[in-house]
Amino acid sequence: MAENNLCIALKQVGKTVNTPDGELDILNNISLDVKYQEAVVIKGASGSGKTTLLGLMAGLDQASSGEVVLLGQNLADKNEEQRSSIRAGKVGFVFQSFHLVKGANALQNVMLPLELGAIENASELAATSLQQVGLEAKAYTQVDHLSGGEQQRVAIARAFATRPTVLFADEPTGNLDATTGRQIADLMFHLRDQSGTTLVLVTHEEELLQRGDRQILMESGRLLAN
Amino acid sequence: MKLKHATIHSYWLMFVATVITVAIVTSSQLVTNRISLLLDRQASELLAADLVVLSSKKFDSEYRSAALEQGLQVSQSVSLRTAVFIDDEPQLVELKAVDGAYPLRGKLERAHDVTAQRSYAEQGPSVGEVWLDSKLGSIISQDLTIGEQNFAASWLLTYEPDRGGAIFNLAPRVLMNIKDLAQTGLVVPGSRVRYRLMFAGDQADIASFKTWLTTNLKPGEEIQDLENARPEMRSALERTRKFFALAIVLTLVIAMAAIAITARYTANREAPKIAMLRAFGISQPSLFKYYLGQLGRLWIAATAVGVILGWATQFPLQWALDGWFGKTLPQVYALRPYFTAAVVGLLALAGFSLPYLLNATATPPMQVLRTVVNRRSWSRGLLMTGSAITAVFCVLVILMQSSLLAIAVLGIVLACAFILPLILGWMVKLLLVSSRRRFWLRQYLLSRLQASSRGAIYVMSGFSLVLIAILLIAVVKDELMGEWQAQLPADIPNYFLINIRSSDVAGVEEFLRQRQIEASTPYALVRARMAQINGVDVDKIRFSHPRGSHSATHTFNITYADALPVQNKIVAGYWLSENRDPAQFSVEEGLAERLGLKLGDQLTMTVGSKTLQASVTSIRSVLWENFKPNFFLIANSELIAEMPQTWLLSALIRDQHKADLKQLLQRYPSITLLDISELMARVQAIVDKATVALQFFFLFALASATIVLLAAIQTGRHEREVESSLLRALGAHTSQLYRVHVLEFTLMGALIGFFAAAIASMAGWAVSVYFFDIEYHFSASLWGYSLVSACLVLTLAGTLVSRRVYNISPMKILRS
Ligand SMILES: Nc1ncnc2c1ncn2[C@@H]1O[C@H](COP(=O)(O)OP(=O)(O)O)[C@@H](O)[C@H]1O
Ligand SMILES: [Mg+2]
Repeated sequence: MAENNLCIALKQVGKTVNTPDGELDILNNISLDVKYQEAVVIKGASGSGKTTLLGLMAGLDQASSGEVVLLGQNLADKNEEQRSSIRAGKVGFVFQSFHLVKGANALQNVMLPLELGAIENASELAATSLQQVGLEAKAYTQVDHLSGGEQQRVAIARAFATRPTVLFADEPTGNLDATTGRQIADLMFHLRDQSGTTLVLVTHEEELLQRGDRQILMESGRLLAN
Repeated sequence: MKLKHATIHSYWLMFVATVITVAIVTSSQLVTNRISLLLDRQASELLAADLVVLSSKKFDSEYRSAALEQGLQVSQSVSLRTAVFIDDEPQLVELKAVDGAYPLRGKLERAHDVTAQRSYAEQGPSVGEVWLDSKLGSIISQDLTIGEQNFAASWLLTYEPDRGGAIFNLAPRVLMNIKDLAQTGLVVPGSRVRYRLMFAGDQADIASFKTWLTTNLKPGEEIQDLENARPEMRSALERTRKFFALAIVLTLVIAMAAIAITARYTANREAPKIAMLRAFGISQPSLFKYYLGQLGRLWIAATAVGVILGWATQFPLQWALDGWFGKTLPQVYALRPYFTAAVVGLLALAGFSLPYLLNATATPPMQVLRTVVNRRSWSRGLLMTGSAITAVFCVLVILMQSSLLAIAVLGIVLACAFILPLILGWMVKLLLVSSRRRFWLRQYLLSRLQASSRGAIYVMSGFSLVLIAILLIAVVKDELMGEWQAQLPADIPNYFLINIRSSDVAGVEEFLRQRQIEASTPYALVRARMAQINGVDVDKIRFSHPRGSHSATHTFNITYADALPVQNKIVAGYWLSENRDPAQFSVEEGLAERLGLKLGDQLTMTVGSKTLQASVTSIRSVLWENFKPNFFLIANSELIAEMPQTWLLSALIRDQHKADLKQLLQRYPSITLLDISELMARVQAIVDKATVALQFFFLFALASATIVLLAAIQTGRHEREVESSLLRALGAHTSQLYRVHVLEFTLMGALIGFFAAAIASMAGWAVSVYFFDIEYHFSASLWGYSLVSACLVLTLAGTLVSRRVYNISPMKILRS
């Protein structure tokens, strides 16, 4: 079974949403395989459906048609709760606008997914992870007081702390200036090389695009090129 | 982008909060005016009128015609002391002649004999008949000669509204028709006759007539109105009024807190939109103007709805009071309540929302691109608090019409507004420090509360304030009721036995003891007039207190006692028995104030032809409401024990002993029985009525509290949804989401409940002790109620209203 070697497999996936003006197809007939440890980069114009695709691959959303297999499990007949437990501990996320827990410090943010998954010695693991992103000195700083680049590094530390099999990142450098963005990109790929995590990344930045194993171009809800 | 299409989020919460505020003011103005009138009318019954002029000379027709012109009702009575012969024995009686209009307020009650059923009478005696005091019950249905005229003693007079005043020095009453007075030949030059001209009418008319009367009063004439009605009644009225004012102000504070919180919430929701509009180049002033227009429309709509709502509350209240007391509330026709309500609504709305609006319209356009922390400048912070304070202060002044009280309430509200967020913030910090090791779940919850972006602390403060206000109303009400109950034990006396001769005292006591009738200690009464204070004749003294000269010319009943009477407290000096002085007076606090008396002042009193002089060695507070014998002046026994005196005692005479009274009166014919149960019932009714009316304000308070609650839940809603979807993305189970959510509200509830209880008990103590002058009892149940209700209400409402959060799609985190 070839599929068992695939981290993510999409077969003729479509996504239709209801809008006030009727049904709207935002993804059409998408087939895509992502192998373990591969780094796939998705690019495309704004509104082309990148975020929607990422959500489907990660099991955050349900496809309207076709089949999504994540980590060997078909998501088609799974409800929210079941998809959530497939993700638990194996899937990490990095978001454009960081989404850290405000009012908590960096270490606590990194501890959060570990504790949610009831993993022992969460604080030690979290500290190690923070160290890997070079933020050990700011472990006890409230995330509200960190700069954008630092916040995104905390988010990356949080994503890698559970040693995920696959990491999804939606325009992780989109809110950052060029230099900081480059540093974040370096960090992500560095950590991926270390851990062998599969990476699915949406971006506009040429820098990031070049570093992927494979580039995917999207246009109006379709895949243009592999 | 057209500005017109922008709508204010959460606009409706603010709208409802304003509606409630306007309704509270309308209703409180309408209802308190009327309750107040009703209370006054209750008290008026003790005057038999709303306003009375007393004189020792016959009134000319000037006052009467002026009053009639104003549309007032007028009645006249004449009273004098005279002797009648009963079984050939002379008996001093207090004769009172009344016209057909008497009494203007209250009703006369009569019966065929001491034990017979009583009935109301619409008018006093008709020509040719007299009604007699129960003391004269033995000659009922016989003929009685008064002066030169014979009368049929047809009824026993059992209740006379305005008989109070000088409760202990009544000779038995004989009531007759004023048309018969001339024929008796008793009114001759030189006879001591008291003329009373009584008026009743609308409050406003009475007030303006009183003003006119005051300026036209001739020497020797004196005005009597509710202010100087019976002290026990005045005290009960005063506390009820104070409580009413307090409850209304607190309700209003709650409603304004709701406006403040919803305004803040609205402004926060508007900020991103404003940033966008500014990015599109719309200027700050035009944005401000736009929102000002929106606020204006909101105010107009809310005022219209609020006024109607407030107006409508009269009817259920009317219904409730009707059903219970068979009384209709007096009508009030005036625009003032509605106008006041509109102004208060505007002040509250503007004061609380304008600064937020100013702040929101200053949202930097950069916020469109990325979250920019819009740091508040000092001046803007100052403007915000300044404007809120001004609004609250203006509203309080308008409603309380006493800036001193307004400042006091404002102080408390401000203290709460500043201190609550501080303490709550510290408390959360403290809890955060206490366990650092694990983040999930406690620390996570606390950090959510602490995050400034959510304003949870402010919402919690607002909610605490609301809960404090509600608890405070409840607590003070309980304390007042408790105090009232404590003063009126089950064995409260219902009769005063007065005019007991010294030689009869032991016999009367024995008589009562044999029948197991509970009675107070007998007190001697020595009738005295005040001649001099510190050697200066009282009629030459200019008293600074307006009631001073009236009090000084009053006939005093001085008693002597070795022990301080129950429920009297020494407020200055030492009780008589603790001093060596052979001639001392203990003076009641209020009298001392009216006459400007201090410790050490010398009082010269005349008793008949004798004169006695003594110094003031103590000042006492007296609990007038307890219906026990109370005295303005108490002397040491050496001073007055040998003076001519009569005795009095109070007793609880139950129905089965009423028949014995006849026997008592036959054995000791000098005694006059005074039934005070009627009076007590009236005072009790005042408190009861006020309580019913207050339930309505409680409803308003609850409605405002609900708005605050909704705002509280709504405020964090967006963040809560994003956080939920983040947790989902990070692998949280539904049960974990559920726990976070429920526990967040429970934690908020617990913190709120804790603070509200703490502050409400402190405030309850302060208000009871300083405002109402009663004792305060700290109660554990207050804490129980506060904690349980806050936890329960917040958790339930929070969980129900935002249960959507559990099914939030984790996609939200990618899209937000
Ligand atoms: N729930 C939805 N309802 C309606 N339209 C949607 C919804 N979700 C996404 N879209 C539309 O689908 C298109 C693709 O969106 P998205 O995946 O966010 O694109 P991208 O991330 O490439 O910018 C957009 O035009 C967006 O407006
Ligand atoms: Mg996108």
